[in-house]
Amino acid sequence: MNVLETMKKCIREALPDLDMVMGWEQGFDTLHATPLFMETAEDVDRLILGPTCVQSLAVHLPSLKGKKIGVVVKGCDSRAVVQLLSENLLNRENLVIFGFGCDGVVSLSRLKKKLGALDFIESAEKKDDRLCIEINGEQQDLPFDDICAPKCLTCSRPNAIISDHFAGPQRTPRIPAKGKTALEKFEEKSLPERFDFWKAQMQRCVRCYACRDSCPMCVCRDHCVAVSRNPHFVSQEATASENFMFQLIHVMHLAGRCVSCGECERACPMDIPLGLLRAKSTEVTSALFNQEAGLDQEAVLPLLSFNIEEETIEEHD
Amino acid sequence: MHIGVFVCHCGSNISGTVDCPQTAKAAGEFPDVVYSTDEMYTCSEPGQESIIRAIKEHNLDGVVVASCSPRMHEATFRRTVERAGLNPYMFEMANIREHVSWVGRDKALNTRKAIDLIGMAVAKLRNGTPLFSERFNVTRKLMVIGGGVAGIQAALDAADSGIEVVLVERETTIGGKMAKLDKTFPTIDCSSCVLGPKMVEVAQHPKITLYAASEVDNVSGYVGNFTVQVRKRAVYVDWDACTGCGLCTEKCPSRKTPDPFNELIATTTAINIPFPQAIPKKATINPDYCLQLTKGKCGVCAKVCPVGCIDFEQQDKIEEVQVGAIVVATGYDLFDYSVYKQYGAGKLPDVITSLQYERLLNASGPTGGHVLRPSDGAEPKHVVFIQCVGSRDKSKGRAYCSSFCCMYTAKQAILTKSHLPDSQSYVFYMDIRSPGKGYDEFTRRTQELYGAQYIRGRVSSIHQHGSSLVVRGADTLAGMQVEIKADLVVLAVGIEPSRNSQKLAATLHISADTDGFFMEGHPKLKPVETNTAGVFLAGCCQGPRDIPTSVSMGSAAAAKAMVLFSNEQLESDPQVATVNATRCVGCYKCVKTCPFGAILESEDRWKNPKAEVLPTICKGCGICSVTCPHGAIQLNHFTDNQLLAEVNAICPLPTI
Repeated sequence: MNVLETMKKCIREALPDLDMVMGWEQGFDTLHATPLFMETAEDVDRLILGPTCVQSLAVHLPSLKGKKIGVVVKGCDSRAVVQLLSENLLNRENLVIFGFGCDGVVSLSRLKKKLGALDFIESAEKKDDRLCIEINGEQQDLPFDDICAPKCLTCSRPNAIISDHFAGPQRTPRIPAKGKTALEKFEEKSLPERFDFWKAQMQRCVRCYACRDSCPMCVCRDHCVAVSRNPHFVSQEATASENFMFQLIHVMHLAGRCVSCGECERACPMDIPLGLLRAKSTEVTSALFNQEAGLDQEAVLPLLSFNIEEETIEEHD
Repeated sequence: MHIGVFVCHCGSNISGTVDCPQTAKAAGEFPDVVYSTDEMYTCSEPGQESIIRAIKEHNLDGVVVASCSPRMHEATFRRTVERAGLNPYMFEMANIREHVSWVGRDKALNTRKAIDLIGMAVAKLRNGTPLFSERFNVTRKLMVIGGGVAGIQAALDAADSGIEVVLVERETTIGGKMAKLDKTFPTIDCSSCVLGPKMVEVAQHPKITLYAASEVDNVSGYVGNFTVQVRKRAVYVDWDACTGCGLCTEKCPSRKTPDPFNELIATTTAINIPFPQAIPKKATINPDYCLQLTKGKCGVCAKVCPVGCIDFEQQDKIEEVQVGAIVVATGYDLFDYSVYKQYGAGKLPDVITSLQYERLLNASGPTGGHVLRPSDGAEPKHVVFIQCVGSRDKSKGRAYCSSFCCMYTAKQAILTKSHLPDSQSYVFYMDIRSPGKGYDEFTRRTQELYGAQYIRGRVSSIHQHGSSLVVRGADTLAGMQVEIKADLVVLAVGIEPSRNSQKLAATLHISADTDGFFMEGHPKLKPVETNTAGVFLAGCCQGPRDIPTSVSMGSAAAAKAMVLFSNEQLESDPQVATVNATRCVGCYKCVKTCPFGAILESEDRWKNPKAEVLPTICKGCGICSVTCPHGAIQLNHFTDNQLLAEVNAICPLPTI
């Protein structure tokens, strides 16, 4: 039995005790997957697993607190689940986690850069380390690393780190390629260069809030400060400074919590490299507190606790 | 709004480097400011009157005073605007003294910064709201933590004024370090003769409840209403029944028990009463050395006890006490001098601490007051005292002066001469610090009348040579090396805050300085207060203090408690966090970060999870408010909107 069939079997067995199980199904073509909410055994037939299952379904979990929910997770998605559990935003007993080993997911924006428009996809299939895609009647065979999500290139946790059912074999983590990370490369630029870069990026931001809505760690929902008048942190004016204020608030709210799932960047219709901002904040918080988010559901999060003295920070000289 | 701005000259303190009239003129241009002026001394009576007059004449509903730090005069001006009928929280202060005139020299730049700060204060005030205090009852009961001389004094003074006092002492007897001393400087009067009667008074006072062998586990609540959990350690003796006859201590076979009261230079029995004048005079079993408790066979004390008060099954007991105020008088411990390898690192038996020497001098000590050195019990002829061991030594992390070592060393040198008339004392010192009444005369007497030889310099090594010690050091006044053959070396070991005092500070929510001593509310004007209302300090827990100062602090702390208890009710500070229940999503991040446990996991009437602030416990630190991602919990008087308005006032939006 392959991974998909094993997974389907697991879900069918668990479904009677659950209100719903979340997974993916094929969207309008084979390159696009869309979330699938399975309530009956027939729904389970439509489940798919593969490189197109890009969305982190963990984003829906906090709003479903109180229901008995199953969720299918990749390695990166599972970190979000762990983080939400550690913040007490989910009840573990109401949650059934279906994990599997992920081979990486495609980045539609990278693919689009390679192929131009992504219309008329006939088929898309991953074969070993290549993606075979039939587009406009033409057969394309692309190295997967060229079109996968950037996070997959350095993925150290392809397997769900928390799961009640695990389908298929465990995948071996990627050994990150030698050389500088995107953040390190970016930080080599001078301050004015970086400022100009962000100014330009923030001028492009349309404040659609896709980054916020796709973020599994954004849990304020209807009460987001971005749209609040009291307190009035940001106005609705779509200027670079107000947009930047919003983006920085988002980063601050994720400090020490961001699980680096890359959903913000994936969801951004303007392809703004939001991951860079988060990578920086993660770098700072992990250097300060020697802790990474979303790895241990029992962890006491440094910014969500109070200590007179932080063990990892020398406060007196 | 109608805002009035008052720019203070503070004599020349501010006007020396800030153009006050120009500042006042510029302040008049800020939105909603209808009146602005400059005053010579705004805090003076005419200054305050002019604020009141302006409020009436210009119909002001908010006031900004640009002067000194709010810590100095915020309370003053709040009362002023209240007298004029305004809500005291419709007042803001711009600190243009400590933050401007005292730190900058350029008058033009200073003036610009002063104007900016006033602009921020005006912006904050425009977003402010009137706030109202709540009144609550006071539990008129005082807890004193620590039964040394400072704590005893605080307890007695408070009790004499009619306040119920609970005195908590960690050791099995009160008396603290003073009870161990032989004589006290500069009068050479017997320590236990002065302290003893006070200890007895504590035991007999109808208003004082004594918890000995007890520690404070936890403190919750707030000024006027603290709930303290006191852990009564198991002493394996029913103290209500024990008469202190001492029969058990005579028969106890475990005679090798270390004796902390004698600073470990002698041993005692596993069941013991630390010293004859102990209060309470009750026996205590040391469980680490009791044969019954360690090996399960003995029980001699239980057999001989005439009242049958031995209880090997006794457990720690936790009692909850409600008090309205707390005096912390936890005192000090000696610095661990074994880090000084040059002084033998604690390995040489005849190198002892000053407190151990006190016990050798003391008639109730292990040698009955005969100075006999520990190694062979011989009388020493040459005694060397070394000062500043763990004091004024940055390399050992002890930069501070322990303050009373110079004096007790002089006293010990005098006592050495009177105990051993043939002896010669040498004192290695850095400086002689004797600033008290009769203190300098005392140290001179030590040298001139008692012949102690004072050598200004440090000791570089002590080593054993046969039965004596060779002390090598510098005489910096003579500019030469000296070598003294000594029979006994006494180290004036510096002091440090009592062990576990950091934990206590966290429990009480008071702060400590970098050396670990508890922080007073203000170095000059609030020496016995802390920044936590209702918690006061006395004695060495706040810094090195000699006996007279510790006693004064004890009395002062008691007086502060009396002032507090003279009120039937207290007013709460309205500058606390409040939850906007419609915005709260019940993630309880605030609950996790609150250092004071002031936020509850609550729910609304539809059972939705909501955070709830206990305003009397909240200290207004604002951590919850920065933790809440969507601003549902706001700190009154420091709301996000007020702070954002301040930021916007100095950082106009850039045009990008």
